[in-house]
Amino acid sequence: MAYSLPCCKPPEPPETLFPAPSRINASPKSALLVENDESLLNFLRRSLTDEGYAVRTAANSEEGLRLYRDCAPFAVVLIDYCVPQRSGIGIDYLAPLTHGIGLATAIHEINPSQGIIIAALDYRNAAEVPRPQQLMHIPLVTDISNFQLRSLLTKIEVERMIEMLTTPELLKLRRFGDFRVRGLGRAARGRTGEDLLSEALLRTLIGAGNSQKGRHWNRDVDFVRHLAGAMQSISNCWKRQFNETEAYLVSEFPKHDEDGQERSPLDNVAAGHAAVDQCLIEKDEQSRVLAMFDDDREAAQVLWGLLDGLTKTEIMSRYGLDKNKLAATERRIRVKLARKNGNRGEKNGR
Amino acid sequence: MADKKNHDERLEIIMNQFAESVLVQSDAVILAETSESGVDPQREAEQTRLVLRQASKRFDEVNMRLSSLGHTINPNDWQRGQRGYHTTCLTCGSFVNFTTTTGEMRGDALDALCLERDQYAIRRREGSR
Repeated sequence: MAYSLPCCKPPEPPETLFPAPSRINASPKSALLVENDESLLNFLRRSLTDEGYAVRTAANSEEGLRLYRDCAPFAVVLIDYCVPQRSGIGIDYLAPLTHGIGLATAIHEINPSQGIIIAALDYRNAAEVPRPQQLMHIPLVTDISNFQLRSLLTKIEVERMIEMLTTPELLKLRRFGDFRVRGLGRAARGRTGEDLLSEALLRTLIGAGNSQKGRHWNRDVDFVRHLAGAMQSISNCWKRQFNETEAYLVSEFPKHDEDGQERSPLDNVAAGHAAVDQCLIEKDEQSRVLAMFDDDREAAQVLWGLLDGLTKTEIMSRYGLDKNKLAATERRIRVKLARKNGNRGEKNGR
Repeated sequence: MADKKNHDERLEIIMNQFAESVLVQSDAVILAETSESGVDPQREAEQTRLVLRQASKRFDEVNMRLSSLGHTINPNDWQRGQRGYHTTCLTCGSFVNFTTTTGEMRGDALDALCLERDQYAIRRREGSR
C-alpha cells in the first residue's frame, strides 16, 4: 500500500508584529555573571538587571565556560576573580587564584572582542591584580560601588555600538560634525569635526550613569542620533564661549589658494595699509564658502538666498528653480563642502 | 558690523541645516555623495570609527592609570573646565586633570598611590584567613 502526501501549499506562517525571539542571549542586553558568593551574586545580578540586562549566572569557571560556549555572545561577561573551578570545591585563599582569570582568558581566546569585566574585590587597586599581559586591557572592578560597575557597563556598551556602526552611519556622523564646525566659523578656534565627534563620545562616557553631567545616553535613543545631539550641544557651547572680539590669528586663514599655491593672508595687503584688519576680516568663512561656488551660479544663488534669510519657496521663486532643481543644487553644495573639508586634511589653524 | 554678524549667524544656520539634512539621508545617498566628493567612503568611515575608538581609549587610559594607583574616582563626577576635565579621588582628595584632544593627564593624583584607600576595610581574602 503506497502512501502519498497530499499535494498542497505549505501553510503561510502567521503574521506577527514582532520577530520571534531566538534565544535569551539574542537580546543585545544579555549578560553572563560568574560568581559563587551568594550575596555578591545577588548584588551583581540586581545591578545588571537594573541596567536592563537579561542575566545568566554560573557558580564556577567550568559552568561559566560551558554557558559561554552554548549561549555566546553576551553583551557583557562579569567574572569574579576568585571564582572556583567547579562546584563543591571551596576556595583556598592561600592558593593562587587563577580560575577567574583562566575563564576570562578562555573567553578572550574564543572571542577577542567580547566585553569582559573582572570583579577583583580582594585587591586594593588594579595594579595589584595579577593577570596575563593579554588581559591587561580588561576593566576591573575593585570597588563594589555601583557607579564603578555602571560606568564600565556603559563603556562596554558604547564600544560595542562603535563597532556596530555601519559605513553610512559613520559617514553621517562625520558630515554632521564637519558641518557643525564649519557653521561655527572663528568660534571653532581651529577645532575640526573629528574633535567635535571625539568630544561627544567622551561626554557620553563621562555622563555614563548620570543625566545631570556629561551627556547621558538614553539607550532608547539611536546611538547616531545621540552622538549628533551631543555634537550639537557641544558646538553650541563652543559658540557661547567664543568672544567675538578675539584677535584674528594668521593661522586662521587659508594658507593655500584654490590652485594649491601657498599664500600668506598678508600677500595682497599693501604695507602700511590703513585697513589691514578689515582686509583680513573679509576673508572669513562666509567669503570662503561663497568663493567655492563662483563657477556654479545656481549654487551661489541658493547660498545667497539662504544667507538673506529666504525660505526655500522664496528661493525657488526668486531664482526660478523648481523643487528638483533646488534639491540637486543643495546636493552639489553638500558634496562640494564635503570635498573642501576632506581636502583640508590638516587641522585647521593648528 | 551688525550686518556681518547677521550673515555669520545665517551661515551658521545654513551649515546646521546641512548637518541635519545629512542625518535623514538614505544610506545610498550618503555613500553616493561621499564618493562624488572624491573620498573613499569605506576609508573615511573607518577613519571616523578610529576617532571614536581613540576617544574611548583616552578615557580608558585615564581611568586605568588612576585605578592602578588605587584612586577611587566617580566616573560621573568629571567636571568640565578650561583645560579639559578634572576630578578628585573620593578617598584621598587628590586632583587629576586630562585634556580631551591630546589625552594629556596631570595632577597630584598621578604622582603617588592613594594611601588612604582601604585603611579600615577588611577584604574577603584577608577576612578568610
